[in-house]
Order: sequence, then C-alpha cells, then structure tokens
Amino acid sequence: MWSNLQRWRGVALVATALVATVWLAASNQLVLYIHPRYIVFTVIMAGIALVLVVAGLLARRGHRDDEDAPPARLPRLLSFLGLAIAAVIAITMVALPPATLTSATADQRSINSTTVGAQAQNVDTVASSPAGAFAKFTVVDWASLLRQTNDLAFYSGKPVDVVGFITVDPDDPDNVFYVSRFVVTCCAVDAQPVGIPVYYPNWTSTFKAGDWVEATGGFTANRSTTSAQGIALEPANVLAVEQPSEPYLY
Amino acid sequence: MSTRAPDRARVDNPQHPGHDHDERPRLPASRWVWMIVGILALAGLLAVRGLADGAGFSLPNQLQDLLTLSISVVIESLPFVILGILLSIIVQVWLPEGLLMRWLPRNPVLRRLCISCFGIFLPVCECGNVPLARGLIVKGFTVAESMTFLLAAPIINPITIVTTHQAFGFDNGILVARIIGGLAIANIVGWLFSLHPQQDSLLTPRFAAECRRPADHEHEQSRWSKSVDLFVRETSVITPALFIGALVAGGIQVLVPRQVLVTLGSNPVWSILAMMVLAFVIAVCSNVDAFFILPFASSFMPGSIATFLVFGPIIDIKMLAILRTTFTTRVLVQLTVIVALLSALIGAVVNFVV
Repeated sequence: MWSNLQRWRGVALVATALVATVWLAASNQLVLYIHPRYIVFTVIMAGIALVLVVAGLLARRGHRDDEDAPPARLPRLLSFLGLAIAAVIAITMVALPPATLTSATADQRSINSTTVGAQAQNVDTVASSPAGAFAKFTVVDWASLLRQTNDLAFYSGKPVDVVGFITVDPDDPDNVFYVSRFVVTCCAVDAQPVGIPVYYPNWTSTFKAGDWVEATGGFTANRSTTSAQGIALEPANVLAVEQPSEPYLY
Repeated sequence: MSTRAPDRARVDNPQHPGHDHDERPRLPASRWVWMIVGILALAGLLAVRGLADGAGFSLPNQLQDLLTLSISVVIESLPFVILGILLSIIVQVWLPEGLLMRWLPRNPVLRRLCISCFGIFLPVCECGNVPLARGLIVKGFTVAESMTFLLAAPIINPITIVTTHQAFGFDNGILVARIIGGLAIANIVGWLFSLHPQQDSLLTPRFAAECRRPADHEHEQSRWSKSVDLFVRETSVITPALFIGALVAGGIQVLVPRQVLVTLGSNPVWSILAMMVLAFVIAVCSNVDAFFILPFASSFMPGSIATFLVFGPIIDIKMLAILRTTFTTRVLVQLTVIVALLSALIGAVVNFVV
C-alpha cells in the first residue's frame, strides 16, 4: 500500500492536472489562469506528459520501491496528509467550474496601487489621436491616462466606453465605484487590479460589487465629496453585461 | 573536498540479488483495475463540474480566489516542471556516461563557476530546475555543485535575461546587478556548502538513498523504459510538493494585504525587506518576474527591485516546498538566510551607489 502510494501519487496528480489543463485549453478557458503567451507551451508539455503518464502506467516496474522500508508513523502520517491536501487541489481543478479572480482579491490588492504596465497609453500621443481611437480604449488605457494627468480639458470630447467588474471605492462606498479589470503578466497570481472611478449615486441599489458592467460617458470633475479621486467617469449609461471570455487584460 | 564525484554510487549492492525483472509483458491485474477506477473517477469529477456549472454553484469569494490562485500556480508551473523532468531524464539516461564530467575543470572553484553558467543554455525557470539538479546529483555532481547550478540557472537563463532587459533596459544597473548578483550568490553558496564534510547529509534520507542505488542492472532495462520509470518516480516526488506550495502561496496571497508592502517602498532599508517578503509570497516564475515588478519600479528604489529579482528566483514559498523533496530542512533554513543576506547586500549596494 505504502509503496504503491509512493509510486503512483505523482502520476495520479499529474494526470488529473493535465486533464484539467487540456479541458481548459479545449474550452478556451486557460486564460482564466495564465497569460495567453503560455498556452501553446502549456498544451505541448501537457501532450508530452500525457504520453509519459500512459507509458508509465503500461510499463513494468524498473525496480521495486518497497526496497525502501516504510518510514516511521509520524512522517508517514505527514506524507498522507500532504498527499490529501494535494489531492484536494487536483480534484477541485477538475470538479469545480473554472473561475476568474473576484472583487475580493481586487480589494485585497488595492486597486491602482501600482502604475499600469509597459503598454500604457501616453498623454502626448493620445492628445493627437483621432476621436475614433478612444472607442477601443480599455480600463487599463484610461487608468494609465488618469494617473498621468488630471487636466479636465484633456478628457473633454473623449468618449469612454469600457467593460469591467465593480469594486467599491472605500472612501465613498455609496456613490463611487471602480470599473475594474485585472492586469496579468504571467498568471492569475500576479494579477493587479486596475480601475477607473465612476460617480454613480446610490449605485448599490442597482448593482453589487463584482458585477460586470459596461459603462459609457465622459470624464468630469468628481462630484463626490469624500472620494480621493479628482476625476471620475460621469456615466451616460451603465449596463449589466456578461463576464467577457477573456476577463483579464495584459 | 568537492573536486570529484563522491564515490557513493556505483557499488555492487548485495542486498538485491535478482530483481524480479519479469520478462512477461503482462501487467498485474490490479494495475488495470486501478487504471479503470482512475479513469472513471476523472469522468465522475467532470460530471460533477457539469452539474455545478448547471446549478449556478458558486463558492464564497475568498475561497474561490484561494482556489483560483492555487490552480493558477499549478497550471503555470507544471509545464516547466515537466520540461525540467525531461531534461533530467536526458542528463541521466541519454547523455553518454561522463560527458558532462569530462570537460569540466578540476579546480573546484572554476568547476562551480562553469556549472553556474549551465543555465545560459536552459530556458527553464526555478521549479523546473529542481528535477534537473536532482538528476545532476544522481549523475555524480556533488550536492554543492548541483546547488550552484540550481541557484544560478533561473537567473541567467536566456528568457529571464531577455525579459529583464525588455522591462528595465540597462537603467539603474538592475539588469547587471541581477546577473552578476545571481552568479555571485550561487558561487558563494556553492562554496559554503562544499565545505560540509558529508555532502550526503545535506540531502533528505530518501533522495540520498536513491543516489546510492546501484546502477548495476542498467543492461536489463532499455533506455526508454528507464526514462519512463524516471518520469514516474520524479513526478511522485515533485508534484505533491508543487501542489502544496501552490496552496500555501495562494493562501498567503488571499490573507496578506498587498498595500502593507507597497507603503514601505521608499525607504532604502525597508523597501529591500518589503521586496524580499513580496518575492517570497508571490512565488512568481523567474522568466517573467521582471514584468511583474516593473509597475512597482516607480514606487520602490532600484536596489530593492534588484533584490526582488535576485532573491525571488532562488527562494520563495513554492520553491521551498519543492526543494524540501531534496534537501533537509536545516539546509533550506541556512540557504534562505544566506541568500536573503546576500541579496539584501546587493540591493543595498545598488541603492546607495547607483
């Protein structure tokens, strides 16, 4: 029993994780966990590993592991416990529906606590962009501009149309929320929440934190008295939408 | 002490005369039963997912995020671990005997210096390097030499250098500090551990026993079946550690507010400590950690960024879980302390000099 468990636990865990990975890749949901640039590599390695798993299951054993005497009771117990924990993760990988990070993590990591990454928009280039360009701007683009300038004249005549999930502005939880997205560099672990403030009095009567919305409108001076944000989106419209298939931005 | 491969292996072992190498190609019936049970269990779990999806089932946000984060670490790391195991199999089974040993210098310091540069040819980040480092020990490297490789490789691997350059260019000496600092730490740590008179005692008993296992029946097993066997054994060691490391990394992320660390950013001493703690808990892959830390560059001092980039690839919560498969707890504590001190020193030099 001990020796069989020692030998096959890795194959069982890897096989379960690989099935989950391939399933996610096939249903286009791998992006919930890793950056798209890793998808090809991940799928190739999963394929190779699956071949090795099958070969391992079909191969005769090279040497008997029960040459090693089973360890004392305590280490054995710890080993079982560790394996049980690992098994729980493996099982949830397959059994639970895949999910994006929630607004709990956005709150915990403090929205806009870091500047937006390398692909951020530059104020000087944007100032001369044609009006049509702004339709494609994401939460990240606007957040990077908001960090660079608070000049209201810069934002006038620039229509905003963004999709994101709602996180609460802790300074004015009733009237201001952020339309936010996670920015991912490698995998969900490093996701940084980025958002733009929206002034929407009594928004909690219509939405709740974590809801996905599409907000349109333009930036004006923030009418909230307690929010720390000088500029906020004055929404012409806020619509509940489905979570996009690629919830993270890169 | 560490100039030559220790003579621990490759002795005839009288304890195992006549392994039961069964020449019949048939598998035991119980294996088939368990395989069918396994496949049915996986199918059952997938059915559960279908039901959960249909019923609109959802967990509390924090628990859900804990799982999402842990699964994300597993999915991101597993391909690199597999690649590392494949490279380890190549080194142990397919490379001609003694090929690596032949051209390495005899002088221990030069020898470790060469070994620390192996990583330039291997685009594998830290967790994938563990199985490879294990393979090197089995193949006859001393523990200290293998550790030198393990510490340097994730920092000087080609992808890491390219991404660090893309993120920081040559600004503030961050890239140079990272490469030179990584090589220096690896060689210093390798030297320190080479002073230990009994290299084997640095290893876990199980792995040390595996290294002593005689290679006397190599002729009986084809290279292919030896490769498959090695894959089964290495996965059984590394994967449970990876899963547990992923869970701990996810748990810390859910519990520790990020803001605490970021507010410490502008103090030359505290920012270094904060960055080490961040590197420890975030456990992000060395191939891309430069992009991860880039947004912090405006609020942290360059030296602390360098510390993050040197410390993170070597020591983090997930790495310690995986390293524990090979090294004793005592060694890991020593390793963590030494690497922390040295990388803090590098950070301080960059902060005060550049």
